[in-house]
Amino acid sequence: MEEDGWRIKHLIFGFFTGAIASYMLLSSPYIGNESAPMLMIFNFLFVSLIFPLNGTLKTKLSMLLIGNVTGLVWNNLFSLFAYTVAYYFGEVFNTLYMILSPIANLVWIVSFWSISLTALANSRNTRAGVKA
Amino acid sequence: MITKLLEVFFLILTALMTTYLIRHFIFTLTVLKNAQKRKKAVTVENTTYQPTVSTLIPARNEEQVIGRILQRMTELTYPKDKMQIIVIDDASTDDTGKIVEEYAKNYSYIKVIHRTSKEWGKVKASALNAGLKYAKSEIVLCFDADYYSQADIIEKLVAEFVDPKVGAVQGRVTVLNEPQNIVTRLVALERVGGYRIDQQARDSLGLIPQLGGTAFAIRRKLLESLGGWDESILAEDTDLTFRVYLAGYKVRYVNDAECYEEAVENWRAYWKQRCRWAKGHMQCAFKHSLKVLKSNNLLLKKKIDGLLLLNVYFMPILIWISWIISVLLFFSKPPQWLNALLTTIPLSFYSFVGNFAPFFEVGMGAYLDGRTRACWLIPLLIFMFLYNIVICTKAFTDLLTSKIFGKHTITWDKTVHSGSGNSYIMK
Repeated sequence: MEEDGWRIKHLIFGFFTGAIASYMLLSSPYIGNESAPMLMIFNFLFVSLIFPLNGTLKTKLSMLLIGNVTGLVWNNLFSLFAYTVAYYFGEVFNTLYMILSPIANLVWIVSFWSISLTALANSRNTRAGVKA
Repeated sequence: MITKLLEVFFLILTALMTTYLIRHFIFTLTVLKNAQKRKKAVTVENTTYQPTVSTLIPARNEEQVIGRILQRMTELTYPKDKMQIIVIDDASTDDTGKIVEEYAKNYSYIKVIHRTSKEWGKVKASALNAGLKYAKSEIVLCFDADYYSQADIIEKLVAEFVDPKVGAVQGRVTVLNEPQNIVTRLVALERVGGYRIDQQARDSLGLIPQLGGTAFAIRRKLLESLGGWDESILAEDTDLTFRVYLAGYKVRYVNDAECYEEAVENWRAYWKQRCRWAKGHMQCAFKHSLKVLKSNNLLLKKKIDGLLLLNVYFMPILIWISWIISVLLFFSKPPQWLNALLTTIPLSFYSFVGNFAPFFEVGMGAYLDGRTRACWLIPLLIFMFLYNIVICTKAFTDLLTSKIFGKHTITWDKTVHSGSGNSYIMK
């Protein structure tokens, strides 16, 4: 595969790793009902859109791992926060939570994906600069 | 019973949102995969095709920017004996007319048409039609007054007309005043996704690349046979796109033919511009959806893409409706699948911003353009989406009111250009 080509091998390897990660997440007792689909979406989007780009497989796998950990931590903290506040405010908070959770849930995915894309492109530019 | 109905409605809306998401996902992968391929056969270098070109520039109160585009027109590399530039001074009350007259005096290929306040049609399409009467060339090109093109843009656009099936060609629009503030930066991101990925993918996949109302070229005879621009439609560009396709021609998109626009500089101007786009697009959806379905000139894939394109401005409204339904379902008797399907709502939040390019399209466009620092702003696109929900809902309400009560609430809210883009042009 050329340096600037479509990284099909990375993509296949990424999907394989993403599938394992998703299976582990789904079978984990520490993951809530709301978190699992979000993490699966993250894995799918990340693998299909970041893995074909230029960059080393090691970097991409590390990013995928960090992304999954970030997602788990985010979702656990978010659930804890929701349970605690719901205990004090009851139905009012539940309504608010239902309205706002869709926005809050995807913010970390979009943010992490954007940062990964920038990091990957920056490393490519740095390597190109060194070669030049 | 009501819960069941809500469930069905929610499922339909989710299916619709997913369709859009899959469509844009395919677009992104297509452009990403094709990005490394060799350039296509028809390029400026390998064609000697140089038809005569009439450029229409409608201008109303554009004294801050009109000099910039006219100066650029004099610098174009296309043979001047094959060029005709027609500026339509649309009843300007500032010095636009005087500035154009100065240029017309010095350059024989520049012509100015002054329209009085009585002739002023209040819509851009009316000014374009007025200019079209004076166009004598094979190809008609359109630029807005606030644009600044590449010097060889005409060569790049007209090269595609070698193919007789090509009716119109669209160039790429990039934001000139991007560093100005957060609004211009976010608009620039929208443009990257909309043109670099969305338009490019539609062109590559043989779907329906859309005319953007500026930086585009069309065959004059075709345009005249279609009756010029429809003055009752606010999105005259989208309307023209579909009329070109329904007439059996196709539209091409040329990513290399870049043109730079002065983007709206504040939220108020953004509101006015997008409200106009939304209303115009919805008008086109009502006008063309059925025709697209029935057309014998369109393949099935084009019909599907055309329908999705025509109805895209309804999506922000449908998303907030599905958002409310999901909350209602949650508190009634939530079905087991609700949690899984709820994820489509936040995904859609990031998928229907501005030019309706999802966040991953925007990111990939910026990556392919080598503008990776801009990616840091992608999470902020959520605010654009929330703003667009209100804009599209207002546009739909206005359109509905005018349809039901026959009140004429469809007016052209002109974008005011301050000329701030001038400082970003290298002398």
